[in-house]
Amino acid sequence: MKRNVFSTNKVQLLIFLLPAFLIVLLFYIIPIIITVYVSFTPMRNWNIDKYFNVIVGLQNYNRLFSLITRDPVARQVVVNTIVFVAITLVINVLGGLGLALANFFIDERVSTGFRTLWLLPRMTPIAVYGLLWYYFFHGSNIGMLNSIAMSLGLIKKPIAWGQEVIPWGPWSIIIIVNGFVGVSFGMVIFYSALKSIPRELIIAARVDGASNWKLTTNILIPLLRWHLLFVTTWQLLSLLTTYAHTFLLVEWGVVSRTYGQTWALYVFNTAFGRGEQDQGLAAAAAVILVIFGAILGWITVRALGFNKMITKPKGDI
Amino acid sequence: MMQLWDVEVKSRKIEIVLILAVFLASLPLILNYGLLILSSFSTEMVTNLDPTSFRPTIDNWILLFEGRLSVTGGVREDVVRYTINTAIVALGVAGVVVLVSVMAGYAMSRMNFKGRSLIMQLILLLHAFPGVALIIAVYLIFRATLPSDIELARIYSFAYVIVARAALEIPMSIWLIKGFFDRVPWEVEWAAIIDGASRLRVWREVMLPMVKPGIAAIAIFAFLAGWEDLIYVRTFLFDRTLATYIESNINVEFAYMPLLAAAGTLYLLPTILFFILTQRLLLETSTGGIKG
Repeated sequence: MKRNVFSTNKVQLLIFLLPAFLIVLLFYIIPIIITVYVSFTPMRNWNIDKYFNVIVGLQNYNRLFSLITRDPVARQVVVNTIVFVAITLVINVLGGLGLALANFFIDERVSTGFRTLWLLPRMTPIAVYGLLWYYFFHGSNIGMLNSIAMSLGLIKKPIAWGQEVIPWGPWSIIIIVNGFVGVSFGMVIFYSALKSIPRELIIAARVDGASNWKLTTNILIPLLRWHLLFVTTWQLLSLLTTYAHTFLLVEWGVVSRTYGQTWALYVFNTAFGRGEQDQGLAAAAAVILVIFGAILGWITVRALGFNKMITKPKGDI
Repeated sequence: MMQLWDVEVKSRKIEIVLILAVFLASLPLILNYGLLILSSFSTEMVTNLDPTSFRPTIDNWILLFEGRLSVTGGVREDVVRYTINTAIVALGVAGVVVLVSVMAGYAMSRMNFKGRSLIMQLILLLHAFPGVALIIAVYLIFRATLPSDIELARIYSFAYVIVARAALEIPMSIWLIKGFFDRVPWEVEWAAIIDGASRLRVWREVMLPMVKPGIAAIAIFAFLAGWEDLIYVRTFLFDRTLATYIESNINVEFAYMPLLAAAGTLYLLPTILFFILTQRLLLETSTGGIKG
């Protein structure tokens, strides 16, 4: 009798899970299937009636491959993605670690202010955040970077940083803009991990006369190994798939399309951009991104032992 | 405890150097946000450090609410309406996310069933899933299901953008709220179940009040996600929001730049407000409750 009171009733379980199940089905599972399907159709300009039932096999994948090997603009997308992801990843992980450590060593009241400030870009509406950097990198003399550099006498006339100084101008801009958003992820995770380290450990090291640097390299960073791995792989995934901020920078002409477009943005622009929209090709590029992401994601989840973090509910028999 | 802390802080000098370093790194952020807000109250953009370029005025804000893009008139834009639209989307997203996550999060935390651990891992993977791969098909479904009646289609586009955007937030929210449910002592629930309450009643009357901070956290994150969104709103919504208003006016020749700075500041206000009010909550839970 007692067993029955606590055991999970199937109907009740279904009621609790149904809304989430429906959302996942309608907005993840079915779309994934449709995307894979569309990558085998010649879908363009959203002409569903005309193209949805036409199957062209691997034609989109062949086109994508020949674009990358022959078309300089498409090849640049691959180069941009590699440069952007690699450099921003290093900045986000090391920057996050640096910020967390610095905040750990300074007065809590001051650090709360800093940590809040650094979270702000993540929470700021994309259009406003884009607007900030639009003004910052603007190619005329109203651009903040230009007006500061000119008043310091570093440059004589305004420079369109994201258009004229290629390729490092546009690359630096997309790295900076995304870096200021990404760095807070590592900062928050490392900081909360540092705070959960038993105080006795740190105090003991202090009593033994360890400096901040010694403390950091010998005690704190080794204790953050799991978090370092987690932030690195998680940020790698995010950077591969992020495109909203860069989309605005390209659309507003802050950075050149050729040198600012990464793979995820290429998918979006091919499907939704100005001019002819080629959903078949975009879907093929998206499927390749999904395969990359799924492999990376699964390795992350397994390697980091997330399954061990999910403890069994003890009261539910 | 105080004495222990004193041992720990070794050098005041190093602390000051660190504060200065973090401040320098933060400088671009402080300048960017500060000058945007300052420019919204100025006749011309304040983008350099020259204080003479700041000429105070509130004309930008008046023009903004009158819906004019320049002093000379021209096209009228209903910015108040855009603000309301943005709020509808944000509140809708928050509502859907909270409802779905508190139900699923409870089941994941308190009910034992086959495949539970696997489902939790898959949910985590969904959070990292490339959104750009979904949006093509999600838009295709939207086109295929769009009602032909214009008024109906407008309402449908609101509902669709809300649920589609909420879907992106739900995986992380389930993980987050599950963490809050995990921390509620089992005895509380047992007591209620022994008293004869059904699981649904226990959930509603006993468990939900105990995870209020968690509900607040996911509601705020979901609201901000709906509020800040650009991509989904510009793809699905027929009506304009503050995001699409700013997006489409940036390169329009007659756009008057300090006015867009005012629009940006207006759009930023709720974010900053939430920030000041819920600073602690955000700093503690913004990582999705992941603790090593």
